[in-house]
Amino acid sequence: MQERPQTLARATEGDANSFATLLEPLLDPAYRLAAVMLDDRSAAEDAVQEASIKAWRKLRQLRGEVGSLRSWFLSIVANECRMARRQRWWSVVRLPDIRTAAEAGAMSDEPATDLKAALLRLSPDERLPLVLHFYLDLPLEEVARTLGVTTAAAKSRIYRAAKKLKSDLTLEEVF
Amino acid sequence: MGNEDFRRELNNAIDNISGSPSHGLRDRVRSRLIETPSRGGPFWIAGVAAVTIAVLIVGILFVINPNRNNPIIGGVGQVSPSPSASPSATTSPSPSPSASPAASPTPAFTCANTAPITTQQPANPIAYVSALRTGAHAGYDRVTIEFSNGEPASIEVRPQAGTKFALGESGQTVTMAGKNGILVVIRGADAHTSYSGPRDLKTNYPRLVETRITEDFEGVVQLGLGINGPACYRFSVLTNPTRLVIDVQAP
Repeated sequence: MQERPQTLARATEGDANSFATLLEPLLDPAYRLAAVMLDDRSAAEDAVQEASIKAWRKLRQLRGEVGSLRSWFLSIVANECRMARRQRWWSVVRLPDIRTAAEAGAMSDEPATDLKAALLRLSPDERLPLVLHFYLDLPLEEVARTLGVTTAAAKSRIYRAAKKLKSDLTLEEVF
Repeated sequence: MGNEDFRRELNNAIDNISGSPSHGLRDRVRSRLIETPSRGGPFWIAGVAAVTIAVLIVGILFVINPNRNNPIIGGVGQVSPSPSASPSATTSPSPSPSASPAASPTPAFTCANTAPITTQQPANPIAYVSALRTGAHAGYDRVTIEFSNGEPASIEVRPQAGTKFALGESGQTVTMAGKNGILVVIRGADAHTSYSGPRDLKTNYPRLVETRITEDFEGVVQLGLGINGPACYRFSVLTNPTRLVIDVQAP
């Protein structure tokens, strides 16, 4: 981890390999986030790839702060997902994902299936704070940075979205 | 269902939606990043290119700008940086009227004749006088003769003692107001096709007291200016619209 500032410095000087090295640990969470926002695995991979290139082009905006790389990159991925959903053919031609047998088995798990259906009924921007908080387990401050809002607003968004999934959730159960 | 249960179930649902990324994602991203030029290079080049293009455009616009008030041809004489700067820098005659035409954006006043100066549009048959105006300004009185249909072929300005001017080829003369005069001869122009305004403008400016079209025949327009004092002047041809501007030096 101590090498990351040097890696970031090399990336900022134009070394694409260094930037790819920095992004590697973030690709999996970025993909999960995109997949939930888009409910399309192939489109999620495309979104992550496009977001990586945009991040590369905008790297100078990070101003050398390694600590904010994750939230910065995830916010770019989220934006890319929003853009993907706005594309003309998004709602016209979409093929269902092919699930593996194991995943199909997991779908028979009744509560998870119910929750999955409920999650997909939320808007992508409502799903986003849930993934960041519950699945990626980001600190509230980082969730806030990714969403581009204050910590209080991030907390509110997480709670509101969670309540839509389970109406009897209390604040204490969420945080 | 407590917090941990909710979290576990939600994470299961998210796992179910997303699955795992394909094994090739990491390599795809890396190879795309390596293929993509660093943002520093293109942006730097784009910046330099933008500045270069901007400078070129500004330069071209400056050169061809029809609103630019640099004279195409100009009066000559003693150096006078601006019309209002030095009314006292008067009547020193220039040894050579054609010595420095158009060298300065604001030509200096002179009290001498100018040789006929050919404008830059000799191919145009006739420029039509479309307006005749006068005005008083700090340090000078101005006559503006506006043209349509391009520039006249040549312009000649001749100061003279007295205000007696010939009225065309008729042999008649007219004596205008003032003590001295300036005759303006414009070739390749007429003052009757596009101009129907007054042909004799009497003013009580500090120096310019009368402006009169004294000839308008066969493509030659002459104007007499009655000057109440030394007949020192400068002139310019400006564009957009094309116009001849004669400034008579005033106190």
